[in-house]
Order: sequence, then C-alpha cells, then structure tokens
Amino acid sequence: MSFREKSAWVMAALMTAAGLYYLNLVVGTSRDLGTVAPPIGIFIAYTVLVVIGSIVAQIVLAVSSPAEAQARADERERPILHRAGSRAGVVLGFGTVTALLFFLVHADGNLLFHMVLGSLIVSQIAEYALQIVLLRRSA
Amino acid sequence: MGTPPPITNRVRELREQNGGMSQAALGEAIGVTRQTVIAIEQGRYSPSLESAFRIARLFGVGLEDAFGWSED
Repeated sequence: MSFREKSAWVMAALMTAAGLYYLNLVVGTSRDLGTVAPPIGIFIAYTVLVVIGSIVAQIVLAVSSPAEAQARADERERPILHRAGSRAGVVLGFGTVTALLFFLVHADGNLLFHMVLGSLIVSQIAEYALQIVLLRRSA
Repeated sequence: MGTPPPITNRVRELREQNGGMSQAALGEAIGVTRQTVIAIEQGRYSPSLESAFRIARLFGVGLEDAFGWSED
C-alpha cells in the first residue's frame, strides 16, 4: 500500500470518527437538529479534534515511512488527487445548494449551519474515499 | 474498471536483464513511486512521455524497445 493510500485511509477514518462524534454531540443536545442553535463549543471541540488528530496521524505516518512521506505525489498520483478533490467539491456544492434551498423554504439558519457543516464533513470523507478507490484502480 | 491503455511494455523484462533491479530502485531512478512502476508493468497505467524516455535511457534501449502499441 502506497503512502498516499495509507494517508487517505487514516484521514478518512479520522474524518468519519470526528464527524460521528460531532453528530452524536449535536443530536445529544437536542432531538431536533433544526431547532438547535449552532453549538459553538461542540464546533470548536470538533475542529480541535480534527486538527490535532490530523497532525498526529501525519506525524505517525511520516515516522513510519520517512522517505515516502517526503516524496511529492508522482505523475500517476497527481491527477488522481486532483480528480478526487474535484468530485468532492461537487459533493460539497450539492450539499450547500440543498442547504440553501432548505433555508429558502424553512428560513432556519440553524439548519443551514448544520447542513453546510455536514456537507463539508461528507465531502472530506468522499475525497479520501475517492483517493483510495482511484489509487487502487490504477495500482 | 476502465479499459487498459493500449500500450505494452517490457519494463519487467528489462529490469530482470539489468541485474534484477527492484521496482523501488527503478521508481527512484525515474522519479515515481514503486506503486506506479507496478502499475506500468501490469499495463494499468501508461507513463508520461518523459518517464518512458527515462526508463528507456536508464536501460540503454530505444523507446520502442521498451514500449509498444497493442493493436487489439
């Protein structure tokens, strides 16, 4: 397994775990997400968890494969990373537009916040998942 | 999975003829990862023209001695 794929697996797992953690905290705060004000404390906890988790995971990966960690993506990997990012952008865009349409209908800013943040989390997970699929398909 | 590219190659054969050079060593020599060398050898990935030239020059053969076009 290449360094890029290992990194994608780790980041996908991290983003999924952090996303579920966030969702669990938000749902725990209220049964109705649409009526809950954006939980600043939970949002900060989520962000810190993702940032620190990413740094620790990348350090562990780099220590385990120092040469591969320093190497830049090669000619096969670059278009794959670009394609995964591009398609993840579509996921984010779809989620954001859907959130905006909900806002137009329901005029609920809290729901808009949760839907946009959820789209961001899902798009990140989709990006790493696509990287894994595309790297495996051409390796 | 898409159709494999119609480019054939003798990279594995050339490696073996040149002292059994490892895939990692070849990758390092031409600036790609070992996984990319594997993908080239298995015909799943067509290298860039630059990498194809680097491979051919590394083994001291012509480009068409290392790579070919499959008519199938």
